[in-house]
Amino acid sequence: MAGSPNKPSPPRWLLAELTYACPLQCPYCSNPLNYASIDKELSTDDWKRVLKQSREMGAVQLGFSGGEPLTRKDLTELVSYSHDLGYYTNLITSGYNMDEAKILELKKAGLDHIQVSIQASSKELNDFIAGTKSFEHKKTVARLIKKHGYPMVLCVVLHRENIHQMKEILEMAIELGADFVELANTQYYGWAHHNRDQLMPTQQQLNDAEVIANEYQVSQKGKMKIYYVVPDYYEGRPKACMNGWGTTFLTIAPDGLALPCHSARQLPNFDCPSVNDFSIQEIWNESKAFNYFRGDAWMKEPCRSCKDKDKDFGGCHCQAFLLTGDAHNADPACNLSPQHHTITDAIASAEQPTEQALLFRNSKNSKLLKN
Amino acid sequence: MSVQPGKTIQLSPTYRLQWEQAQNMFVLLYPEGLVELNQSSAEILKLCKDDNTLSDIVSVLEQKFSSTGLEPDIINFLNTALDNGWITQ
Repeated sequence: MAGSPNKPSPPRWLLAELTYACPLQCPYCSNPLNYASIDKELSTDDWKRVLKQSREMGAVQLGFSGGEPLTRKDLTELVSYSHDLGYYTNLITSGYNMDEAKILELKKAGLDHIQVSIQASSKELNDFIAGTKSFEHKKTVARLIKKHGYPMVLCVVLHRENIHQMKEILEMAIELGADFVELANTQYYGWAHHNRDQLMPTQQQLNDAEVIANEYQVSQKGKMKIYYVVPDYYEGRPKACMNGWGTTFLTIAPDGLALPCHSARQLPNFDCPSVNDFSIQEIWNESKAFNYFRGDAWMKEPCRSCKDKDKDFGGCHCQAFLLTGDAHNADPACNLSPQHHTITDAIASAEQPTEQALLFRNSKNSKLLKN
Repeated sequence: MSVQPGKTIQLSPTYRLQWEQAQNMFVLLYPEGLVELNQSSAEILKLCKDDNTLSDIVSVLEQKFSSTGLEPDIINFLNTALDNGWITQ
């Protein structure tokens, strides 16, 4: 493994993607398109080793994610172990199949917080987008989470089909007692990228939604915190992806691949290291993948001479790869990128509705796409 | 928002103050978030508990660091903390 001259900052955030299994079929899922062919999962002992080594390195925020982490039989055991290590433990769940007994069991194990996703503010649309009847159950779960004293983040991914419900979504969040609301404009990776033409909102839809989100941010101040995740396609500026590559975030995929960003496994010939072969310390400090985009030596123009290069680090490398074929290019979401037209063309075509149906995220479609 | 002098100040129930050995600093933890604290911020937040009011916090810190005139800086930080929802009154 290649060495790095400077010791990187320690990981602060560990995202443990416990499984790709999920009862929902959201067409914007960030899991890889070929997830169905990645069927090996780390064992409980493997996860414990990863959790312990990451904690020793400095990770303190821990997200249990997936797929649907509730499908792992050892979730409570892993929560309990992580709690004892001193992590702040977050469960990122669809709420599907969760009941009061599980909520209490996880509380007892030391779970600090639950993030529940809801797909829309109406039953019909929620169940359509999720590909699974789940709306009423999700709302019941959200109420039980609050009943048992957890802080709760309600996460709603926004796109063309539901963004007009902004007001109703925020009213629902208030009614459910959410402490935080994450209004996450779809980011176009994985399944979302595949379904981009069907998911991208029009500029007008976005403008209208943003006005409402801002109104509620003011009126709910001190009661419910509203995070509006800016859609980078429409901003003209790239996001400071992952707070800088290999500076803060460490994702471990269900099969043990260690990723500097949860989309990084799609980068070709990138050779992300596995926790089956290396310790977290070796992976974080020494692996080629984690060192690759650290600092700015990798940059090409226009990033290299850009005044903002220490602010946005050239944007998102996975997006640069997806849209330009080269992860070293400036993120085309940046209006200084010579390939920015790939973004503006997509926005222009979003003004026209598409006839193509959404491709839902499930194993059958995953296998079809692979061939 | 401004901190009210007569009222007690507590850390908000959704936030957790924790010492991190690996980073050699206190951090404030909350759902999916983390604030890394400098020493003075951490010293103030550690005192946001029990029946402490602004004047209690000022006097404890002035005594601890053998100094005077800390109140304006403490008020500034507490106002920021209130605005961010880290503390309640």
